Amino acid sequence: MGPLIPNGVIPVEWDSIIAILIGIAFGFVLEASGFSSSRKLAGQFYGYDFAVLKVFFTAALVSVIGVYYMDYLGYLDVTQLYVHPFYLWGAIIGGVIMGVGFVAAGFCPGTSLCAVAIGKIDAIVYVGGIMVGVFIFSEMYTVFEPIYNGYFYGNVTLEDSLGINPYWFVFIFSMIAIVAFVVADMVRKRVKKVFY
Amino acid sequence: MVKKKIAKVLAFRYTILAAILILLAGGLVLLPKYQKHEGIKPEELLSNTISPERYMTTDRLAHIIINQDPSFILIDVRDEKSFASYTLPNAINIPLVKLLDEDSKNYLNQNQFDVVLFSNDHFYADQAWILCNRLGYKNMRVLKGGINEWYATIINPLKPADNMPATDFDLYATRKAASMFFGVVYPEQVKVEAPKIVKKVAPKKVITIEKKKKAEAEGGC
Repeated sequence: MGPLIPNGVIPVEWDSIIAILIGIAFGFVLEASGFSSSRKLAGQFYGYDFAVLKVFFTAALVSVIGVYYMDYLGYLDVTQLYVHPFYLWGAIIGGVIMGVGFVAAGFCPGTSLCAVAIGKIDAIVYVGGIMVGVFIFSEMYTVFEPIYNGYFYGNVTLEDSLGINPYWFVFIFSMIAIVAFVVADMVRKRVKKVFY
Repeated sequence: MVKKKIAKVLAFRYTILAAILILLAGGLVLLPKYQKHEGIKPEELLSNTISPERYMTTDRLAHIIINQDPSFILIDVRDEKSFASYTLPNAINIPLVKLLDEDSKNYLNQNQFDVVLFSNDHFYADQAWILCNRLGYKNMRVLKGGINEWYATIINPLKPADNMPATDFDLYATRKAASMFFGVVYPEQVKVEAPKIVKKVAPKKVITIEKKKKAEAEGGC
């Protein structure tokens, strides 16, 4: 049956409308759970607040378990889902830049827009910085292109590259998540509390 | 009292949630695995196979080709050698062994055209049809009787006997017209001109009469 749009259950024209609705819901949840605060996000790196780790790890876990259960019951075909293309060095360099920006400013691109929506000045400056970065990248595209388009390994998943059974992977992944949560909690208890 | 109890349970809330996650993830590992079917269900395939809906008659195909209906693709599932020696007009060759190739998929798995499969008889075409049907490809047809039937009905239609019904004669007329379209020539079509009887005219003999040479004037004054 699923995924709904590729199989024509929902017409393709609804694509953007559904995207907007999901985007609004996502933004609302981000803001409602305090993710538009740069201090909360930066707490991740300083060890006084692990909400980001917990939220995103839990989200990944819940969805991966749900997807595989739906696949097992025949409501969703995992093989039809979109797999993000893997550009090795593009991902590494982009990840480093994104991480530095994250810890320096206390926002990731999504939460920064959330914070702009509620009028945070630091977020507005941050988004301005993103725009400058986008401009520089576009202007120097010819220089960056070999990295941007090179080292392409296809739309691979861990299942393809490691040959691991996806069910076992989900199980190990959830174990790692729970261990990470416990460790994060222990770290948080030892670090001096920061009020914000 | 109740509040205290709830608080007692809630003190373990993270442990409970973690346990639920592990249970669900472990469930995925422990669930019995089964072979997933690609394409349509076996029952559906069986009912499709029994149904003769997929067959297309040669008359219908001739009609389609003559009217140049753009919504049909003809696919010859015989091998290249047979395809090279004879095939239907504008047919594409996808031998049965290459049916599941990536290149063939573009022709077979689409919604724009009706695909007509044919072979010498319809047995290979039927096999191709079942493979495609199993994968859930739509709009697949099979030419009933294949090229042999095409020859027997369209290219070389059998003249009905005198005691047969008029419909047979109509059908014959249609098929004959169709065969003419495909380049068959009938004896009555060719105008054989009656040999003209040309009277032989005896060539005139030209008798040259030698004129007497005038005697040269001799003498004279």
